[in-house]
Amino acid sequence: MTQLRILFARVLGLFRRRREEHELAQEMRAHLEMLTEEIVRKGLSRSEARYAALRSFDGVEQNKESYRDQRGLLWLESFLLDVRYGLRGLARNPGFAAMAILTLALGIGANTAIFSLIDAVMLRSLPVQKPEELVEIQRLNPRTGNAANSFTNPMWEAFRAQQDIFSNVFAWGDDRFDLSNGGQVRNANSMYVSGNYFEALGVRSSFGRLISPADDQRGCPAVAVLSYGFWQENYGGAPSAAGSSISLDRHRFQIIGATAPGFLGTEVGHNFDVALPICASAYFDGKESRLDHHSWWWLQLMSRIKPQTSSGTLKAGMETLTPGVLAASLPQNWPATAQQNFLKLRLVTVPAAHGLSILRRQFKQPLNVLMAVVGLVLLIACANIASLMLARAAGRNKEIALRRALGASRTRLVRQLLTECLLVSSAGALLGLVFAYWAAGLLVRYISTARDHVFLNLAPDSRVLGFTAAIAILTGVMFGILPALRSTRASLTLAMKGKGDPEGRGRSQFSGWIVSGQVACSMVLLVCAGLFLRSFAKLITLDMGFDRNNVLLMHLNLETANVPPEQRPAVFEDLEVRLRALPGVVSASRSWNTPLTGYEWNQYIHPDAPNPPTGEASLAYFNTVSPTYFETLHMPLLAGRAFNKQDAKSTPPVAIVNQTLARQFFAGLDPIGRTFRKDEAGGKLGPPIEVVGLVKDSKYESLREDTYPTAFFPIAQITPGDGSEESFELRTGVRPSSLASQVSGAVASVNRGISVDFHTLAEQVADSLVQERLLALLSGFFGGLALLLAMIGLYGTLSYLVTQRQTEFGVRLALGAAPGSILRMVMRDMGVVLAGGLVAGVCISLATVQLLQNLLFNLHARDALTLLASAGTLAAAAFIAACLPAYRAAHVDPMVALREE
Amino acid sequence: MGQELLQGTLDLMVLKVLESMGPMHGYGIARRLEQISENLLHMNQGTLYPALLRLQQRGWISSKWGASDNNRKAKFYSLTKSGRKQLMTEEENWGRTAALMQRLLAETSG
Repeated sequence: MTQLRILFARVLGLFRRRREEHELAQEMRAHLEMLTEEIVRKGLSRSEARYAALRSFDGVEQNKESYRDQRGLLWLESFLLDVRYGLRGLARNPGFAAMAILTLALGIGANTAIFSLIDAVMLRSLPVQKPEELVEIQRLNPRTGNAANSFTNPMWEAFRAQQDIFSNVFAWGDDRFDLSNGGQVRNANSMYVSGNYFEALGVRSSFGRLISPADDQRGCPAVAVLSYGFWQENYGGAPSAAGSSISLDRHRFQIIGATAPGFLGTEVGHNFDVALPICASAYFDGKESRLDHHSWWWLQLMSRIKPQTSSGTLKAGMETLTPGVLAASLPQNWPATAQQNFLKLRLVTVPAAHGLSILRRQFKQPLNVLMAVVGLVLLIACANIASLMLARAAGRNKEIALRRALGASRTRLVRQLLTECLLVSSAGALLGLVFAYWAAGLLVRYISTARDHVFLNLAPDSRVLGFTAAIAILTGVMFGILPALRSTRASLTLAMKGKGDPEGRGRSQFSGWIVSGQVACSMVLLVCAGLFLRSFAKLITLDMGFDRNNVLLMHLNLETANVPPEQRPAVFEDLEVRLRALPGVVSASRSWNTPLTGYEWNQYIHPDAPNPPTGEASLAYFNTVSPTYFETLHMPLLAGRAFNKQDAKSTPPVAIVNQTLARQFFAGLDPIGRTFRKDEAGGKLGPPIEVVGLVKDSKYESLREDTYPTAFFPIAQITPGDGSEESFELRTGVRPSSLASQVSGAVASVNRGISVDFHTLAEQVADSLVQERLLALLSGFFGGLALLLAMIGLYGTLSYLVTQRQTEFGVRLALGAAPGSILRMVMRDMGVVLAGGLVAGVCISLATVQLLQNLLFNLHARDALTLLASAGTLAAAAFIAACLPAYRAAHVDPMVALREE
Repeated sequence: MGQELLQGTLDLMVLKVLESMGPMHGYGIARRLEQISENLLHMNQGTLYPALLRLQQRGWISSKWGASDNNRKAKFYSLTKSGRKQLMTEEENWGRTAALMQRLLAETSG
């Protein structure tokens, strides 16, 4: 009660300030006068009495201040005062304010941008009901310890049959469908979902209805649910979309509804456009439906667990139902040992509140590295602003000393200076938020590729805003506290006398520490940038074994073209001839696969050579190609012959192998004329295949791989799949993408129903390096920024130091010192600061770069060349930054300098 | 008595003075305190005012402007009802503490 009354009285005190201030002055004046009169009565003169009275009051103003403390809500009152004071101070010096705010906006913005990506990819819960109740089901191979999260449909059906604590298990599998009916391909991200998927996640519809268990039965009708975004984009959000149909890979599906906004699917980073019931996969599969396939791993499983379920119960429950699930879904056609291994699988649950994400696995480490990088950049920027603040505070020494003499306490002054800094950092943070929102969007677009469109929810949530607020305060305090403490420590008398800087030496030493710290941080960033840039350069200049420039790639699909299967090869061949004849096309070929798509086709092979490799070492990778493939991709044939028209279904099977295959399977022998056999289904060996040519090594799946042993077969002899899809490669004399419309025309002239998907080989190579390029680009950018900031810091500090010592230099010059010796003095100062920073930077780098090792390609993290180059760059930058101040110091006019003193 | 006043002692003394002397202005209170302590208590007279404000905020004393002996405008403080109650409690507390201290000191020195 009393507390409340005090608070009330204090709040009241805020509003009646002016009157109370007047009353307080009057009351104290009355007191002093009465006291003076009393002393006068004792016999002192009036002036002596007044003095004595004042003395017994021990500082009228100080007492008034403590009275004021008692009166109102001081912190609020003084905070508002400080804000006003700070704003006035900044307005007086708009150049400084603008620079500091912009620097911080960039620094804080970069931090917020990276953090919001981390938040979106790793920290955000799925936007569904009670995400904390979700668990993912994984299968653990007890022999290797590897965990995987894909399941076959028979396994899922066995799960679904269980009615235990996992009665809420649901499943989904990703796929992609072409929305077009021939011509240019338009892909939609799609997923197959189990009938209970939406219900278990608690997702509602925005119109119509969602897929229910009744929709997910064998032989189900073709129905589809749209995502909110897809519905808005393609149907303008009209409910009339329900009942209309959508074409997916040339199959018509009836739209029954759309999900509520905000739901993007269970895979973070990839939104879905269309959802179909699992049973609908039968429409796309031929005879061999994935619904009954025992080794087609295409579904992911999640379950909702009641909140009070303990992990022990969960584990026990899973152990009880595992044998049943495995027995029911055992692949009957597998060899006995593989079946035994299958039955030994363990099923486990892991928390899945954040959803699943391939993106998370791929970018977790790069994002953490980038977070550290932008953190360091902000630190360097802070140091610069701290230096500026320090110099500014020096200009204010007199003001501060005066205010202390007038009764301001040191804490009060420090608080005031800090408020000013927080104003700057808050303004920077606000601007930074805008910048971050833009930059994060840009980064997401940057890591998206044609094949892999990344979609993330980047709307700032409370976590991102809290993070930004926290670093705003942290930076404000960081660049404010030391200058504030130092500038309020100065000796009063000296400062009042106008001896600008009584602790000049200490202060410059202090600035030296700051700059050394900056140099050290910059060194770490430069090393980081150097490593990523060099690693990236190694990757793109790598001999890939083919020439990626001026090659247009197309993926053609005949499925909707009404071409009978037996005529498909002829249609493709006809297309190849027509495309080759197009103006601008130098060479054309076709194949099953093109380099670096991520698709692979492999099998164990058995050469007719002594000591053949066994087990995993006998795995070889394949592709089928038309005779001109090697010529088109500029893959040199080293021995033997290329394929030709004579290699056909009716002639004996032949192959061209790469150097790695020749070395591994035909060690020391001439591979030409030798044969090998492939493993075929049922443990039998295929017919012998004769090696007719040797081609130079090239990368198959990724640039980072050790070259795969690869065999190429004539496309006329072997048709993978049902022969409805082939890739075409066109080497062009002009810019490849400029040929796209001509090529489309040529394809359409053969058959309007053929769908075409274009990209260039150069793009395909670039897309396989997204992560590396992102790291190289951003670390290079921030490394450069750090270098620039460190140069500005060094320049500022040296300039300040030179101004401080102007008199000294003037005297020295007047006494006959050579300008060169002054120059050397300044350079020596710079050298000391630089050396300290470099040593610290090298030590920190050596201690931490090991963390980056697995992000580097063909490069040791403690790479001496990178370290040396970084140190050299920094030293050169420091030298440049020091030139102007040193020149000024050496050319101080003694007369001017002395007159100022 | 030492130079520094014990925390809260000043409050108690002010309340006691106001109880025994009736409404008084700040200077009067300061004078009275010095008289009672026979100048042993050397008080920074300025610290009296924050204390007076504190007591007012707690509702133990009230103030109004009036005229002093020699017709000078001054603020007069007087004890309120709850101030009287507070004084009683404080006196009791103080008595207990003093007695305790006395016993303790006698014990250890004896």
